[in-house]
Amino acid sequence: MIVGNVRIDFEPRLKSPRWLMVAVPVLSLVFALIVAAIFLLATGHSPITAYGRILDKGFLSFYGITDTLGLATPLICTGLAAAFAFRMNLFNIGEEGQMYLGMIGGAWAGIVLVESLPTLFAVPIVLLVGAATGAMWVLVPALLRAKLGTSEIVSTLLLNYVALNLVNFFIFGSRTVLRDPSPFPDGQAVADSARLDRFGTTNTYPTLVIAIALAVLLWVFIRYSNYGYETSVFADSPNTARYAGMSAGWLTLSVLLGSGALAGLGGAMYVVGPAGKVDPGLLQLGLGYAGIVVAALARYNFLAVILTAILFAGLRVGGAALQVSSDPVPISIAVVIQGAVLLFALGGEMFRRNRLRVRRVAAAGGVA
Amino acid sequence: MSASHEAVKGSHRDGATLFALSARNVTKRFPGVVANDGVDFDLAPGEVHTLLGENGAGKSTLASVLCGLYKPDEGAVLRNGTQVRLTSPRHGLQNGIAMVHQHFRLVDRFSVAENVVLGDRSLPFFLKTNTLNDQVAEVAERFGLPLDPNALVGDLSAGQRQRVEIVKALYQGADILLLDEPTALLAPPEVEKLFETVRSMAAAGKSIVFVSHKLGEVVDISDRITVMRDGRVTGSVNRGEADGRKLAELMVGRDIDLSPRRATGACGDTLLTLHNVSLYRDGVALVDNVSFDVRAGEILGVAGVSGNGQRELAELVAGLVAPAGGVISVCGNETNGQGTRSVRRAGLAYVPEDRLGTGLSPSLSIVDNMVLTKERGFVVDRKGARLEADKYIAHLEIKTPSALTATRKLSGGNSQKVLLAREIFAAGDDAKVLVVCSPTRGLDVGAVETVHKLLDEARAQGKAILLISEDLDEVLTLADRLLVLYRGAVVYESAGATADVEAVGLAMAGLA
Repeated sequence: MIVGNVRIDFEPRLKSPRWLMVAVPVLSLVFALIVAAIFLLATGHSPITAYGRILDKGFLSFYGITDTLGLATPLICTGLAAAFAFRMNLFNIGEEGQMYLGMIGGAWAGIVLVESLPTLFAVPIVLLVGAATGAMWVLVPALLRAKLGTSEIVSTLLLNYVALNLVNFFIFGSRTVLRDPSPFPDGQAVADSARLDRFGTTNTYPTLVIAIALAVLLWVFIRYSNYGYETSVFADSPNTARYAGMSAGWLTLSVLLGSGALAGLGGAMYVVGPAGKVDPGLLQLGLGYAGIVVAALARYNFLAVILTAILFAGLRVGGAALQVSSDPVPISIAVVIQGAVLLFALGGEMFRRNRLRVRRVAAAGGVA
Repeated sequence: MSASHEAVKGSHRDGATLFALSARNVTKRFPGVVANDGVDFDLAPGEVHTLLGENGAGKSTLASVLCGLYKPDEGAVLRNGTQVRLTSPRHGLQNGIAMVHQHFRLVDRFSVAENVVLGDRSLPFFLKTNTLNDQVAEVAERFGLPLDPNALVGDLSAGQRQRVEIVKALYQGADILLLDEPTALLAPPEVEKLFETVRSMAAAGKSIVFVSHKLGEVVDISDRITVMRDGRVTGSVNRGEADGRKLAELMVGRDIDLSPRRATGACGDTLLTLHNVSLYRDGVALVDNVSFDVRAGEILGVAGVSGNGQRELAELVAGLVAPAGGVISVCGNETNGQGTRSVRRAGLAYVPEDRLGTGLSPSLSIVDNMVLTKERGFVVDRKGARLEADKYIAHLEIKTPSALTATRKLSGGNSQKVLLAREIFAAGDDAKVLVVCSPTRGLDVGAVETVHKLLDEARAQGKAILLISEDLDEVLTLADRLLVLYRGAVVYESAGATADVEAVGLAMAGLA
């Protein structure tokens, strides 16, 4: 790009210096806050107060951070689901629907299967059934992709709408075991043994520990196992994988099913944690789509997913708190702040990998 | 530097000749590299002047300086004896200098004529297609470049696209054409046509700089050859003085031995057998009833023009596709259609033609690539792979910052060494049969010599080697026996190492 007699170029960096790994995210955040401040000032709010409140209610205060961690728990699962598939260049956009199915499957297991079992067995069963139903929801797209090469992007996305209507059907349109018999439309509560107690009076549940452990396990598994190696080769060069005798069909199928299971697990964690039933409230949170953003921010690194999920959840919790302060900020502006932070975080990546060079150039046509 | 001066003085040219384009003491630095170091270069009007050198020798950098793409850090560019300071390729074009890049810069969805006039600022706002087409066709015809101005560039072959680029340069009024590795993407018949074009342009008074690393092809076309190495000019020779061996030495800086290598000992047992093997796709025979044996300690060469079933033959032997009929056996085990892993277990190693996109995983490290075709347990043994990688990096002199470097960052020769290290040496005695496809395609002369030496070593170790190559010279240099494949069938078979080259050529063209 040439502006006046200054030429601005992006050049790829041969090496990203270490200090940039810290500087880029910090500066991205600063710029995002400056941009969002324009919107706050334009609508007559003090950016300092608003940011202070987000920081306090989302991250720093005790109930703030515990609310954030509670929301981050299923988000870590959907983030891992997206990262697991996307790093293989399999674009599973269906985490949202797979998570709903995990909630349905988990709740069903919690109502029907585990009534007489102690918590030690009941909760794992609910989680496993939720993971299995999540995986089941991606089975058809996975088979179509593995056998016929059909784009998984479209098929998984469309199944989200089916899953959404399935939840509505169970709660509002039918009389199944999943629905509470009372006239008010609500989900049937699962057995008490299928639920975990929250930590103290917070909104954080022990499932957080499971989610974090899962992220670490997955990271170790992909880094060291033969399966992880094969997925890396396949993601890098399908021809090379074929040459080495790896089965493209099996890798595609297993990764997509694994991704669906992780998303389904997120839904089941919502059941054993805050919901305890099929809860249409989950439809409002959009944690499946958010998982894709979380995974992209983490550059599909499983360990980084933990941090980006917490960041995302904190912005949500803090943003929501803005509406109920003494100087209420409209929800749309809160969403602008979230969007700005995420957009700048993604854009900052470009500066980490490229160098901006500004040079003076001779005026065009100066020499005939 | 002295060498180049002497060469210029010692040539038939005298100081009075006005060169169309010259570089004087040009130096161009990039971070960490001096790409051109005090380079002198002279291009006479109407001459075809080849810049010869290995990858990274600085030829393309010099060409980019000459066309205005790069500004030299030191030194000067002279046009007809007067210094010019080129600020951009457009500015170069105003001085009659145009470069045709190795990778074409055309718009696929535009017609030939539209591509040719793209960037011409003198055109009116509304274009008259007929007038444009006539103008473009006129330029194309004048230099014997058959082109349909209406054709979509997206539908053209690589050779035709290149013609569009050349016509574009001529349309823009270029008197000097810099062709950067122009034969890299062309099939042999297209190369021949390109050479005709180059000759006719030179005859019309245009000056041509022909940038190439292919020793074999430049001798015929060039009036003069200037050789570069490590950013410097190492020598210049005129037409008639060029001798392949001397040029290779100037390029590489040491004596290069590309003389034939043959098996020294007696051959052992038959390790690879194909009996009446066929493969069909859509009713067409891709491999047609092929039979041969390869014994321990010999190289069987398979020659042929590209696309006559070589690739399919290699994939059949490697177990990547199953034959429609016939029997393939490796070390006495019948391996038809059992999949590539079990063929490997039977004792086969395979070096595919596409080294970076198939034989290696480009973004993965050398260490990770060492285990690609090994049996791996539940956990990948990276410690062992690391030791192995370090060993071969030292042993085969693989130039890399570390064993953890991604293979795509290596040069062609070095990535081929990684692939050969894994398939020949790391596999050890487990791999008795080796299938190697076009192992030196796109490599420097120095790397070609190394690869040939390694294959010769593998033969001496007693491996049975099937060498499938589109480079006839390579097959003639290495093979103890040779076959010619035409439309998937064996149309010629030599008894021993001395093949009748004329008969082989006719067989390759399907005239046997």
